[in-house]
Amino acid sequence: MSDLPLSPVSPIARPGWASRVPVPVLLAAAFLAVLAFSMAFPRVVTPYDPLVSDVAHAMQPPDATHWFGTDRIGRDVFSRVIYGARYSLLIGLSSMIVSLLVGLVLGVTAGLGRRAVDEGASRVFDVLSAFPPVLLSLFVVTFLGQGIVNMAVAVGIAGIPKFGRVLRSQTLGVRRADYVTHAVTFGMSRARVFVRHILPNVLAAVPVIATIDIGSAIIAVSALSFLGLGPQPPTPEWGVMLAEGRDVLRVAWWPSVFPGMAITLTVMAFSLIGKFLARVYGVRTR
Amino acid sequence: MVRKIVTRLLTGLLVLWLAASAAFVAIHALPGRIEDVLAGDLSYPGLRESIAAQWGLDHSLPWQYGRFLLRLAHGDLGISFVMQQPVLAVLGSQLWPTVQLAAAAGVLAIVLALVVATSTAGFSGGAGAWASRIASTLELAFTSTPVFWLGMLLLIAFSFHWRLFPVSGAAGWCALVLPAVTLALPTAGVLSQVMREALETTLDKPFVMTVRARGVSEAALRVRHVLRHALLPVVTLGGWLIGGLLGGAVITEKMFGRPGIGSVTLAAVTSQDVPVVLAVVLLAAFVHVVMSTLLDVAYLFIDPRLRNS
Amino acid sequence: MKAVHLSLAGLAAVAFVSILSGCGKSDSAQTGLSAQAAKPVSGGTLTWGVTTEPACFDPHRSSQQNAFWVERNYIDSLISKKTDGTYAPWLAKSWSVADDGKSYTFNLRDDVHFTDGTPFNAAAVKANFDYILNNVSTTSASASLLVHYDHAEVVSPYVVRLVMKQPDSTTLESLSSVKLGFISPKALAENHDLCGGGPGVVGTGPFVFSAYQRGQAAVFARNADYRWAPGNAQHQGAAYLDRVTYRFLPEAAVRTGALSSGQVDLIEGVQPTDASVFDKVDGFQYLTGPSATTSFTLNINYTVAPASDVRVRRALRDGFDLDAIVKSVYLGTVQRAWSNIGPDNADYNAALKGSWGNNVAAANKLLDEAGWTQRDSEGFRTKDGKRLSIEIGYPQPYVRDSRDVLIRAIQSALRQNIGLDLGLRINTAGDFANEKATGNWTIYPNTDNPSDVAMELWDMLGDQGFLYNAIRNPDPTITDAINRARLLPVGDARRQLLADVQKRAVDQAFIVPLFAPAYHLAAKSSVHGIGFEPELDGPASSYDIWVDKQGG
Repeated sequence: MSDLPLSPVSPIARPGWASRVPVPVLLAAAFLAVLAFSMAFPRVVTPYDPLVSDVAHAMQPPDATHWFGTDRIGRDVFSRVIYGARYSLLIGLSSMIVSLLVGLVLGVTAGLGRRAVDEGASRVFDVLSAFPPVLLSLFVVTFLGQGIVNMAVAVGIAGIPKFGRVLRSQTLGVRRADYVTHAVTFGMSRARVFVRHILPNVLAAVPVIATIDIGSAIIAVSALSFLGLGPQPPTPEWGVMLAEGRDVLRVAWWPSVFPGMAITLTVMAFSLIGKFLARVYGVRTR
Repeated sequence: MVRKIVTRLLTGLLVLWLAASAAFVAIHALPGRIEDVLAGDLSYPGLRESIAAQWGLDHSLPWQYGRFLLRLAHGDLGISFVMQQPVLAVLGSQLWPTVQLAAAAGVLAIVLALVVATSTAGFSGGAGAWASRIASTLELAFTSTPVFWLGMLLLIAFSFHWRLFPVSGAAGWCALVLPAVTLALPTAGVLSQVMREALETTLDKPFVMTVRARGVSEAALRVRHVLRHALLPVVTLGGWLIGGLLGGAVITEKMFGRPGIGSVTLAAVTSQDVPVVLAVVLLAAFVHVVMSTLLDVAYLFIDPRLRNS
Repeated sequence: MKAVHLSLAGLAAVAFVSILSGCGKSDSAQTGLSAQAAKPVSGGTLTWGVTTEPACFDPHRSSQQNAFWVERNYIDSLISKKTDGTYAPWLAKSWSVADDGKSYTFNLRDDVHFTDGTPFNAAAVKANFDYILNNVSTTSASASLLVHYDHAEVVSPYVVRLVMKQPDSTTLESLSSVKLGFISPKALAENHDLCGGGPGVVGTGPFVFSAYQRGQAAVFARNADYRWAPGNAQHQGAAYLDRVTYRFLPEAAVRTGALSSGQVDLIEGVQPTDASVFDKVDGFQYLTGPSATTSFTLNINYTVAPASDVRVRRALRDGFDLDAIVKSVYLGTVQRAWSNIGPDNADYNAALKGSWGNNVAAANKLLDEAGWTQRDSEGFRTKDGKRLSIEIGYPQPYVRDSRDVLIRAIQSALRQNIGLDLGLRINTAGDFANEKATGNWTIYPNTDNPSDVAMELWDMLGDQGFLYNAIRNPDPTITDAINRARLLPVGDARRQLLADVQKRAVDQAFIVPLFAPAYHLAAKSSVHGIGFEPELDGPASSYDIWVDKQGG
C-alpha cells in the first residue's frame, strides 16, 4: 500500500504537511471542525433557542435575521440544525460503538482463530447481513419499542457485519505481516504476540474504519427518526426535522432542505477524511 | 466445479436456517413472559389465545422451534396480531408495488452506474480527468445523501416547481418515476464507485494496451472489452443490492405515499405487530440469500479463473 | 456499432420526452363543463381521499369522528337533523313524545328493507337497541346515548315505543345520529365481527358495503332499492353514483397531491397551506363545512396533581397567545374557541367570548403563588425538586387536521412564557383506553362526536361520561348541573344550565378550548352535490353526490 495519496494534488501553495493532503479532504476537515465548534458552543454561533417558537414569523424564507428561515411554528431553522447536530451525531456515534465493539470481538476472533472459528464467525456475519439493515433495525425496534436508546441499539446491531468483516480482514492482514512472523519465529508466545503486535495494529485501524463508516450510522439514525421511531418532536434531530417539514414541502422548502444538507455534508466529510486516512495508513476498508 | 456449486448452495441453505433461528431466538430471548413480549401493548379479545395457539406456547421449546421451522417451510407466516388475518394475505396484496419500485430502481441504478463508470474511469489528464473527478464527487454525494431527503429535493424540483410528475400514489408509470429515481441514485453511487475501482484495475492490465495498440477506439475498448469486468462487482454485490433496495423501498414508500410492503411494515412496527414484521424480515432475508447464492454460482461460471482453483 | 449506439440514445431520448409530457398535470381542468349541467346525472364512480382509516365500521361501536360519515353510506336513522336544529322524518314517518318525557313513539315506514332482504320494522329497532345494551360498553359513543333508556316496545309491526327510565332531552338528537342507526337483525344475530367492515355489515342505506381492503380503501356500491331518503335530502330515490371508493391517505400532502394529479376526485382534510391549490382554481372547488358541535379542547383531569391546583390550570389556560397561534397554524381558516361547545351551536355560551386567555403576567403570578418558584436547568419551573410537567396523551388514530402542530406551538409558548412543561405523547388507542379505565389520564385533547349539547357535556365533564366515570371525586357542582340539564326538556331553563356548565368549566380551567374545527374539502369541479350533514359535524354521505358524465 502506497502512502501517497492517489488522487491528484492541486498545485496551490500550502505549508509543508498540508501539501500532501488533497483539497477536498482539507475542506472536509474544516467543515467538521466548524461543526464540532458549533456543537460545543452553539450560543456563539446562533442567538436563537431551537425550541422557542415565534408564531408571528412562522414559515419565513431564509433572510438576514433567520439564515435558514423559520419552520411551521416559527422556530429558527439554523439554530435547530446546529443544536440538532448533537443528537444526530451522538446517537450515530453510540450506535456505531455498539457495532464496533461486537464487530471487533467477532472479527478479531475470526481473523485469529482456526478455520472452523473463522467459518463460524463469518456465518454470523452472513446471517446478520442477510437481513437488509433498515429492516433489521425495524425488527429490533418492534420488540424494544421506540426511543433513542432502542434505536441506537437497533442501528448498532445492523452495523455489526460490516465492521466485523473489515476487522477480520484487518486482523488477517496483520497476522500475516512480517513483524508478526518474526516475533513468532523468535519464540514469543502466542498471547504476547497477540497483545504486543496484533491487537495494537488492529485497534489502530479502528478510528480510521470508524471515520469512514460513521456516516452510514448517521444516515441510518436519521432515517429511523424520520420514520418516527427515535427522538420525538420538538427534539431538533435532523431526521425529525425532515419529517416535520414534509407536509409543508410544497410551500416551504427550507425546513427540509437544510437539515438534509447538513446530514449529507457531514457524511461526505467523514467519508473523505476516513478514506484519505485509510490510504495514508494502509488500512483495509473492505 | 460441481463441488463448488453444491458448497455454495448448502451455505445458502445454512444461512437461511440460521437467519430463521436467529429470529426465533430473538423473540424468545427477550425478558418477560413470551406472550407479553409478543403482544406488546395490544389487548384485543382473544389475542393471548391466538398467540398461544400460533406459537404453541404450552409445549416445550424445542417443539416450538421445530413447529416454527415447519410452518416457515410451508410458507405459513402466521396471523397478524392487529389485523387477525394471515400475514401472507396481508403482505401478498401489497407486494407488487414494492417489487415494481425495487426492480425499476435496481435497473436504473445498474444502468446509470455502468454508464458513468465506464465513461469516466481511468482518465488521468484533460477533459477525462475532470469528468472523472466530477463523477467521483457526485458518487460521494449520492452515497452520503439520505434517500428521503433526496426524494424531497426531487419532489420540490420536479413535482412542485416544474409540475412534471405527480406527488404521490401508485397510478401507472408516471408515479413510479420519482420514487424509482430517488431509490436508484444512492445505490448507483455505491455501484459506480465499486465499478470504477474494478475498471481502473482492469484498465491497468496489459491486454488493454494490446487492444489500444490495435487501433480500437477508446469507446469501443470500454464497451466491448472492459465492460464485462465492470459487471463483476454487480454480481458480487447482488445480494447487498437487493437488500438495500428493499430497505430503501420502505423509506421511499413512506416518503412518496406509495402503497407497498413499506407502509404495512411501518404500521406493524409502531403497533408492535410482531408476526408481520417477522415475516417481512424473513422474506427479505430469503430473497437476499437466494439472490446471493445464485449470483455466487453464476460468478463461478463467469470468472474462469475460479473454476479450477 | 456507432449506429446502434445512436439509435439506442435516440430511443432513450424519445422515451424520456414522452414520459415528461405525459406525466405532467392531469386534464382535470374542465372549466367549460362545470358551468353546464345543473341537472344530476345518474351513474359514474367517485373516489374520495380521506385522512382516517376507520378502526371499526360498526356504528354502535365506533368512536372515531372520521368513521361516522363513512358509515352514513350504509346506515340510516329514525329521524334526520336539519340545519335549523329541528328534525325531519326518515325511517320513521312521524313520532310523538309523551307529556312526561318518558316515552317516544315512532311510526315507521313500511316499505324499508335491509340490503340482505330482511324487512325493517319495530322488531328490528328493538333488536338494535338490545344489541347495544348487551354488547357495547356503557361509556361508548352509542351506549352513553342510551343511559336513561329502559326498553323498547313493539306496539305493532311498524310502531315502536322507546321507554325511558327518566326524561332525557338528548334523545331526539341521539336518535338522528348514525351511532343509533340500524344494522340488519340477521347480521347482528350472526355475530360476525361487524367492526371488520365489508359485506357483513348490512344496513338500509343508499349504498352497500361491497369491499374493504385493509390499509387501502373501503368500496361501496349503489343500493338500487333505496327509496327512503330523509325528508331533508337533496333528492329521493336511489343514489346517483354506481360506486364510491374511500381511499385512506393519512398524509395531507399526499391527499393534496392525489387530487391535483387527478388520482382521486374529492379529498377531505385539506391542510391550510394547501387551500390555495384548490380554492378559486380552475377545475377545482374548495368547500368548508360548518363549525363542529364541540371545539377542539384540552380536557384537563383536575383530580391529578399538579393539575389539581386551580392556579396551575388557570396558568396553563392563560399562559399563551391562543389567537396568534391558531391564526398562524391555520392561516385564518378556522376561529379560536372560547368554549368547548362550538360557536355555531344554539347552546353555545356566547358570553364567554373574550373572557379568558393570553395573560402571561397573571399566569406567572399564579404559579409563583402556587409555590412553583424554582427553575431547573432547562428553564422549567420546579417545586421541591419536581418539574412542573403535565402530559397530553393523544391517541394516534385521532390525530389529524394539524392539531399536533397546534399543540407543539402551545407547548413551545408555555415553556418560554411561564416555564410549564406541557408534554405531548402520541400514544395508541389502547393506551388511552387503559388510562381512561383507571382514571389515570392527565390531559386528553379532543372534539367530541356530535350529539346534543347536554350529551356532549355529559360525555366530557359528567360523572358518567367516558372521561370521568372512573374518577372518584369529580367536581360536584358541574356534574350536578350536567345531570340535571339532561333531564330538563329543551328550552330556556336547560339552555341556562348548559351555559353555566360551560362557564364553570372554563373558569375553573377544567378545559382549555382551542379552536372551532370545520371540515375542509376540495374536489374536481366535475363533482356536484357535496354537502355536510348537521348531525355528523362532517361531510354528508355520497348519496346526493353526482359527477359529470365525462369527468368522474
